[in-house]
Amino acid sequence: MGKYKKIIMIKDTNTGNRTSRIYDLFLNSLRERGLEDDVQVVRVADINFYNKGVVARILPDNITYVKIEESDIDRIVRISIVKDDTVKDLLVDPKDKQMRIVLRNCGIIDPESIDDYLKFDGYKGLKKVLEENNRDKVIEELKISGLCGRGGGGFPTWMKWNFAKSQQTDTKFIICNGDEGDPGAYMDRSVLEGDPHSVIEGMIIAAFAIGAKKGYLYIRAEYPLAISRVEMAIEQAHQKGLLGKNILGTDFSFDLGIRLGAGAFVCGEETALIASIEGKRGCPSPRPPYPTINGLWGKPTVINNVETLANIAQILLNGGKRFSNIGTEKCAGTKVFALTGKVKNSSLIEIPMGITLKEIIYDIGGGVLNNKKIKAVQTGGPSGGVIPEEFFDTCIDYEGLQKLGSIMGSGGMIVMDEDDCMVDIAKFYLKFCVDESCGKCAPCRIGGKQMLDLLTDISEGRASCDHVDQLKRISKAMQKASLCGLGQTASNPVLTTLKYFEEEYKEHIVDRRCKSGKCELLFIYEIIEDKCKHCGLCQKKCPVDAIDGDRDNGFMINQEKCVKCGQCFDVCKFEAISR
Amino acid sequence: MTKLTLKNFDQETSKEEKEIKNWVKVGMSTCGIAAGADVVMETIKKAVKENGLDIKVIKTGCVGKCYAEPLVEVKVENMPQVMYGKVDADIANLIIQQHIIGKKLLNDCIYLVAVKDGKNG
Repeated sequence: MGKYKKIIMIKDTNTGNRTSRIYDLFLNSLRERGLEDDVQVVRVADINFYNKGVVARILPDNITYVKIEESDIDRIVRISIVKDDTVKDLLVDPKDKQMRIVLRNCGIIDPESIDDYLKFDGYKGLKKVLEENNRDKVIEELKISGLCGRGGGGFPTWMKWNFAKSQQTDTKFIICNGDEGDPGAYMDRSVLEGDPHSVIEGMIIAAFAIGAKKGYLYIRAEYPLAISRVEMAIEQAHQKGLLGKNILGTDFSFDLGIRLGAGAFVCGEETALIASIEGKRGCPSPRPPYPTINGLWGKPTVINNVETLANIAQILLNGGKRFSNIGTEKCAGTKVFALTGKVKNSSLIEIPMGITLKEIIYDIGGGVLNNKKIKAVQTGGPSGGVIPEEFFDTCIDYEGLQKLGSIMGSGGMIVMDEDDCMVDIAKFYLKFCVDESCGKCAPCRIGGKQMLDLLTDISEGRASCDHVDQLKRISKAMQKASLCGLGQTASNPVLTTLKYFEEEYKEHIVDRRCKSGKCELLFIYEIIEDKCKHCGLCQKKCPVDAIDGDRDNGFMINQEKCVKCGQCFDVCKFEAISR
Repeated sequence: MTKLTLKNFDQETSKEEKEIKNWVKVGMSTCGIAAGADVVMETIKKAVKENGLDIKVIKTGCVGKCYAEPLVEVKVENMPQVMYGKVDADIANLIIQQHIIGKKLLNDCIYLVAVKDGKNG
């Protein structure tokens, strides 16, 4: 690292309004000392701290100060720049909440270059495994690591491998499940696009451990870039002797193929996925027998999620012990989440297990968009549930989330604010499952449809209190009697919203009102005369000219014209519009 | 391409390659491209060529800061490694002129990822 001039990076992490003022003051202070050419002050857009007042980071010393007031500036320049010392009372130790194992190379290496991957310890895990040439040891190492399936189920990976390994047959398969279908989730896509070799290396190691000669990557066709990068990676691995016959000069041979999913959500379920690869209709079948015993074309098959496989090479290279020290005692390692929704920093994050939702939303996500009030977080997609604000201190692991009625899932995490109606959310997710149900079993096919009708009644003001009881009853039936995970979990979003937001359901049913302004028939926008300051902003903003009146006589919303877009509500500074 | 074996693995993969001192990385996953990373990539490549700069332009995957796409990470000698976000063609040109040639960081465009200078995440 070459030496460079000192740099002061600054940012007002609360409103952003004070950044410019502080910037000028720093410049003045430096100018007074004749340092303006030796030190650069720079306003940054994001300094990795949120709601900590004005934050400054000094490079190359890497010192971070928070809650800086105007009166502190001279001190900082005097002590930190001139004297090379630190201002102790403002100093913080910036700890990154994230930890990158799966995403270790994403955004760092060129995903289309195997040489780049090799430079970053690529295929060293595989080399170690083949050198030791001990299948039991691979599984033992995984057992020590405590790695569990990252697709959502959380089944111990070593156990799955061990079941397949102990089957006495020549033909076995390994499948990578890249059929990512949850709304708002894109973890697998990012890994496949950003670091395809890490998944391939994981698959080769898995194949060696269980004794498979052939593997498939099942990727949804909606990910063309991921597919082309994986194709390229497979080709390169062949050229380097890492795939095909006699891998790394040993007598172990293994090859990979890609199979495209046509976008059916149910094909993420392992038995349906297998049917799809076999060229049959993507319908699940009852388990047991599990795929590890009777899978693809009746042969023992291990199906692992993209993220699980991306973990493997690192575990084998650095040892299971080191991996098991990350996260919590019961739940080792990290988890990738796609943090989206009403959060300032929508991002793909990887965190060690055991940190809280609060840390994710506020320290990494930067808080809620537009300073609205947060209502809940949805995890686990259509199979998961919503978690209200009072449980944001819950540690993230498989058990913690399950206790709240949600699931870890594959890693979608959607933040919801006061403008999100919980009945509407439940309806959205249920509709998704109804659309995606394969229709094979009655509980899912009929139950889902009935529940959706009941929810529609609630959201359109035709419901009675019996509706809630019926919803609960059908949910139970679906959980117990559905054939696969899709039906068994489809009611989770409904059940958790009912559990945590019963009041909101009551408002819809009894008062026939939707305070969040989502269920169109259950609210109208009105101007509250007492609060209206006659500014006319709402009238200007209305896209359909539904606001009559003028600045002298006040305004009124013409309900016949109003399309309930909510722009007047958002634009009014005096909260003079109700819904 | 030489096939790797257990024997030649270390030798082949640790071949002395001249360390790249100056580089620009552009996040080119679906997310980045959707936000306009391809235009940024073209702009940077063109500017590097026009100015005859000794800079390697590298295509990478997504680093995870989705809200700030397209992302451009820059490392040149005697400057800290920084990540620019919400880059468009204009900002890309500024990065070349002001940061890479002028050795001055741009205001209002930096999104810090690294806690430690020179090392990611």
